[in-house]
Amino acid sequence: MLTINNLKKRYGSKEVLQGVELQIEKGEILGFVGSNGAGKTTTLNSITGILEPDEGMVTINGISKLNRLIYKKQFFYIPDTINVFKNISGYDWIHFVLKLYDNKQTGKLNEFVRNFDMDEAIHNPMGSYSYGMMHKMSLIAAFTINPPIIIMDEPLNGLDPTAVLMFKLLLKAYVEEGGTVFFSTHLLDIAEKICSTVAILKDGKIVLHEDINNVIGECTLESFFMEKQANEA
Amino acid sequence: MNSFYILMNKEYFQMIRDFKIIWLPIVFIFLGMTQPVLTYYLPTILGALGGGQGITIDPTMVQQEGGQVLATTLGSQFDQLGILIIVISMMGMIQADKASGMLAFILTRPVTVWSYIAGKVISNFLLVIVSVTSGYFVSYLYVNYLFTDVPISHMLSALLIYLIWVLFMISFTLMISTIFNGQGVIALIGIVFLIICRMITGIHPIIDLINPAGMSQHAMSLLFTGSVDSSIYVSLFITFLWVLFTLLVSHLWISQKKFQQD
Repeated sequence: MLTINNLKKRYGSKEVLQGVELQIEKGEILGFVGSNGAGKTTTLNSITGILEPDEGMVTINGISKLNRLIYKKQFFYIPDTINVFKNISGYDWIHFVLKLYDNKQTGKLNEFVRNFDMDEAIHNPMGSYSYGMMHKMSLIAAFTINPPIIIMDEPLNGLDPTAVLMFKLLLKAYVEEGGTVFFSTHLLDIAEKICSTVAILKDGKIVLHEDINNVIGECTLESFFMEKQANEA
Repeated sequence: MNSFYILMNKEYFQMIRDFKIIWLPIVFIFLGMTQPVLTYYLPTILGALGGGQGITIDPTMVQQEGGQVLATTLGSQFDQLGILIIVISMMGMIQADKASGMLAFILTRPVTVWSYIAGKVISNFLLVIVSVTSGYFVSYLYVNYLFTDVPISHMLSALLIYLIWVLFMISFTLMISTIFNGQGVIALIGIVFLIICRMITGIHPIIDLINPAGMSQHAMSLLFTGSVDSSIYVSLFITFLWVLFTLLVSHLWISQKKFQQD
């Protein structure tokens, strides 16, 4: 599904990504964890095309970035910082995004809007939205578009408990229908409940990519992560 | 639906919400109206203000032809205040998207950089066409009413020639907006460069050929004399090359993600 080969990125003298290798299979929910500055966002930006890596290659379903438009239709990216138009309504924004993906199947849109409790707010200007509400809008767009893979940077930031629960349910349904999820997070306790696999990035390299059940046999993901960090230091 | 049309519609939606679609034509209508009215009533205004002392208005002075007044609408109003207004209203074209993260958002969607740039340039150009044309048309009506009639063919030909210069103003502002991040810097570079372009017209025939502001000069001379110089075709070609150059630089800057390194 998603293959990352020898991804390298340097900022000045600092090599942020030092040859990231990762393979994500269809139906996988991969939690991408690492300390601040480990290179998680740089990896996501390199996959999604916000950044050009210095070396390496990324393919989704065998399609490389050379086929720019087809490649970009393979995923929906939800960044950590969501800055959208401040003076248009959520309704107009979501229809703009759906059109970009040439998505005409808006049947499930209303259902997702209700699920995330955005029925009334969707007609308000997005400038009046909280961070969590903007995140909900991105999640609604992602699930409506239903791409082969959803890529997210800290997807749970700003979500209220009800939205987190709804997010988990919709994620499960999306994966059961053949979707794949790749997300970075700092919330290890939630990650271990959602993910089917976990990858740990340290100093620009993948130091572990395992089934979550193999990782948290007798400990939590949090304690495993701390132990791994200490061992690698 | 083609992503270019979607992005262009988004631009219009944004212009409506910002009321730009209303205030920009109004400003140009005001600019277009003031030139013939002020030119016609200037002696009366000076007299009414008691400014007669030290100022002598020659009563035998020949009244300006309509074409001359319409030309000064382009040369004085649109090429001075008009440049300021166009640059200030367009300086956020790309800069605002960079600052809000919207550009990064768009680039991760199934959209080509060309669609994005074309959506910006064409939507803004059409708005400025409507604004400049409205102002120019109002000026034309006042000129015909207060001065001598200007042949409609001259009026329309001069407008078309002038709009090529406007297209360059927009593509240049887009390029500066892509490269720089501060609105002040964008406004300063845009205004100073375009006004210098306008000021140096007429200095040397070679400079006029490669200077995009030469199109404004050609439009004015058409209104003055009723004919255009044969060098207009070369000027036109070179101006289109400049427009293409600014768009290519913008495309290169965005596609190489140079805005991310700031």
